[in-house]
Amino acid sequence: VSQHITETASTCRVPKKLLAETKDILSWLNPLRESGNTNNIYPLNVCWHREVLLPLTMLTTRVNVPVPNKVKFCIVFDEQGKDVTPRPLYRPEPSASLHRQSKILSTQDFSGATGSDFLSSFSMHQTSGVNASLVGPFSRTYGSSTISKSTTSTTESMADEIKNIFIFTLFNLTDVQVRRDEIKEQLTKEDIDKRVDIYLTETETIWLLDMPTVMMSVESEDAEKVQERNKDYIELCKNKVGNDRFVERMMQTLNGAPKTKEVQCEKILMEDKGIMATSWDLYDSFNALEPMLTSSVTERSSRPTKSITSSSIIDLESVILARIHEEEKDHSEAILKSEKFQQDLFFMERILMENVFQPKLAAYRQLPVLLEEAEEGEEEEEEKKETVVSSSLLLDLSEAPEEILPPNLERLWSYTCEWTNGHNVSSMAWNKLNPDLLAVGYGQFGFQEQKKGLACCWSLKNPMWPERIYQCDHGVTALDFSLANPNLLAVGMYNGTIAIYNVQTHNTTALLDSSESFDKHIGPVWQLKWIEQDRGITGDDKGEILISISADGRITKWLIRKGLGCTDLMKLKRTASERKKLTGEKEKKSEALISRQAPGMCFDFHPRNTNIYLAGTEEGHIHKCSCSYNEQFLETYRAHKGPVYKIAWNPFSADMFLSCSADWSIILWRQDSVRPILTFSSTTNVVHDIMWSPKSAFVFAAVNEGRVEIWDLSVSTLDPLIVTFANPGVKFTTVLFARNTDCILIGDNNGIVSVYELRNMTASDSNKHLS
Amino acid sequence: MAEVEETLKRIQAHKGVIGTIVVNAEGIPIRTTLDNSTTVQYAGLLHQLTMKARSTVRDIDPQNDLTFLRIRSKKHEIMVAPDKEYLLIVIQNPCE
Repeated sequence: VSQHITETASTCRVPKKLLAETKDILSWLNPLRESGNTNNIYPLNVCWHREVLLPLTMLTTRVNVPVPNKVKFCIVFDEQGKDVTPRPLYRPEPSASLHRQSKILSTQDFSGATGSDFLSSFSMHQTSGVNASLVGPFSRTYGSSTISKSTTSTTESMADEIKNIFIFTLFNLTDVQVRRDEIKEQLTKEDIDKRVDIYLTETETIWLLDMPTVMMSVESEDAEKVQERNKDYIELCKNKVGNDRFVERMMQTLNGAPKTKEVQCEKILMEDKGIMATSWDLYDSFNALEPMLTSSVTERSSRPTKSITSSSIIDLESVILARIHEEEKDHSEAILKSEKFQQDLFFMERILMENVFQPKLAAYRQLPVLLEEAEEGEEEEEEKKETVVSSSLLLDLSEAPEEILPPNLERLWSYTCEWTNGHNVSSMAWNKLNPDLLAVGYGQFGFQEQKKGLACCWSLKNPMWPERIYQCDHGVTALDFSLANPNLLAVGMYNGTIAIYNVQTHNTTALLDSSESFDKHIGPVWQLKWIEQDRGITGDDKGEILISISADGRITKWLIRKGLGCTDLMKLKRTASERKKLTGEKEKKSEALISRQAPGMCFDFHPRNTNIYLAGTEEGHIHKCSCSYNEQFLETYRAHKGPVYKIAWNPFSADMFLSCSADWSIILWRQDSVRPILTFSSTTNVVHDIMWSPKSAFVFAAVNEGRVEIWDLSVSTLDPLIVTFANPGVKFTTVLFARNTDCILIGDNNGIVSVYELRNMTASDSNKHLS
Repeated sequence: MAEVEETLKRIQAHKGVIGTIVVNAEGIPIRTTLDNSTTVQYAGLLHQLTMKARSTVRDIDPQNDLTFLRIRSKKHEIMVAPDKEYLLIVIQNPCE
């Protein structure tokens, strides 16, 4: 029987044509098998097959079923070395019948299942408990020839079959045992642990029966026999229909009993994580990805499992890095020292100032201040809900075009700090690039009062503390910002030194200093100016030069070329009065001169022709000079009886200039006339400073010691338009107009620079010229 | 360092300033002129608000970032200069 079985197993081939006709035969063929799963690797759920069988036959050992010749063989072992080889569904099934016999498996019954889905067939098995169908496997085992046998389900046949099965299984076992030993030797621990790749492929079709058609020539010898046979066959087929000898029989596929297998895995840990993916988070992570890949990753500390904050990579890294820093140094100190903190403090201070000074600043910027309403903010100005003190006045102004109030100066605020207390404001200059930046020089005028001086840079945004403080050994008497390099500030001092500072850096030491230079000034530098000059005449580069005038009687031109080099533009010679000008000897005789040179007090370059300039001396003379001639003056204007403290060309009318002097007078000159045009003397005080208004050709400001006067020549030439008195004890020393607004800055001898707003000035046409 | 201290002192002494607080990223005050409970309260609340403000600004344009935050209330104004590592908070009463 066993032989038979194997034979049938190996040689049973059914041609495809017959397959179609003999569907019932095929119905019991394992559908899986038909699909060609000849590699004998079946789903694990089939392994029950073997296990179930064994209790009857071999209880302890596991058996590898010998595979029919054509099918490949493979073994799968689990951890304990148990064979968990997926067993083929189609198996010589004496075993199947065996298991059915056992009562153990009474629960797992089979039902006829012809479906191709094996698993579904299992479920069907379990639900229905039809015993009749149990016959199926029996019959299948034995191939087509056993069809007749399958009908009988009597115990005798069963017994026979069992016997057969027994033999078969014994055969199997012996066979298997041998094979198992062989296999055991080969199997080592590595093999078990080794990863085995299992490939499931479609196997080749197994031809169970192939009887190809044979063709013969009609004229051959055997043709007749074949024809006869053919005829017989046809008749047989015809007779088959109602014949008793041919019985149609349904077959069943063998359905194995299912077995449940429980598997337990380790507990799956669940973590909740909430993340809010904001668009900036995505942006940050994306940007951080590339540098992160290249840079070494710092060790990551464990994070809490539940986090509902946005977690970008950057945040994680920065927090971790921050933690690492903590270990290294005191974190709070690091914060305080960090540059960002300094910057933040800087901004904070400015913002505080803004809050405090806001109405004043608004007035400075000439913003309309509305009552109880939001202002139209401009640039950095913020809105303030509380009423502004000066707003009521301004409001009146805007409502009533007629002037209710006469023109006046409204004090806004003052630039002062503890450093500047007690110093005398000697000079002020605006930065050429940033009209909100002011440089103020502090230095005493008199010889006796000399002490250390200061130069401070003040910003509009912080009226309480200067941006830069430069401490100088000597009193600062002159300063000016450069035009070509707006960060350069030239400072002239009482001892004649000129220093150049770079205000961009926080460095408080001078960039350049003239104290080492050969030709430095010996007397105090009373005025400094950066002049943009076309030096094509002398062949020098076109550019900016620094010009200074000092009490040693020289007007010098400074060049920044490997330090401060200078050349004299002019030496101010002492000139006597007009009458005695011609006779040089007589001068010597009549006047005992201490020096041949007259101390220069001030100068001003012509606004249009930078070759011409005016210089004022201590003698009271004003000389018109040219850069081309450094020996002679072009013209001399004599009218003042005291030192000329300031000269100013009118920015609109190129011919006129103004000069003020210690003889209490301000004189308006015209370039071509040696005689003054107008003289303004309203007080008996020294006029320290004058300046033309940048907005009007007629307006100028003058400070004498106790008061500041705004003159408007279009209104009156006799009296100033506005007079504001200083606090008693305070002397005004310098005046400066603001370029972009109607404000005037006044420095006094207490170190305070006050900002006043010119109000109610009639708008004068700047194009008008003085006639 | 001395400059920082000086600036801080100036700010604290400024007209109308009620208090100045510097806290680090974890909410621990580094410098404060207010009492501890108020400081901690301010720090905690403003930290959250700053984060929200920053998130708002960056959501609109991820290349933008928050530089300064000012909250004006009836009584005073709170100014916050935020940073990754610290918060600089100044409370000022601008009316005076």
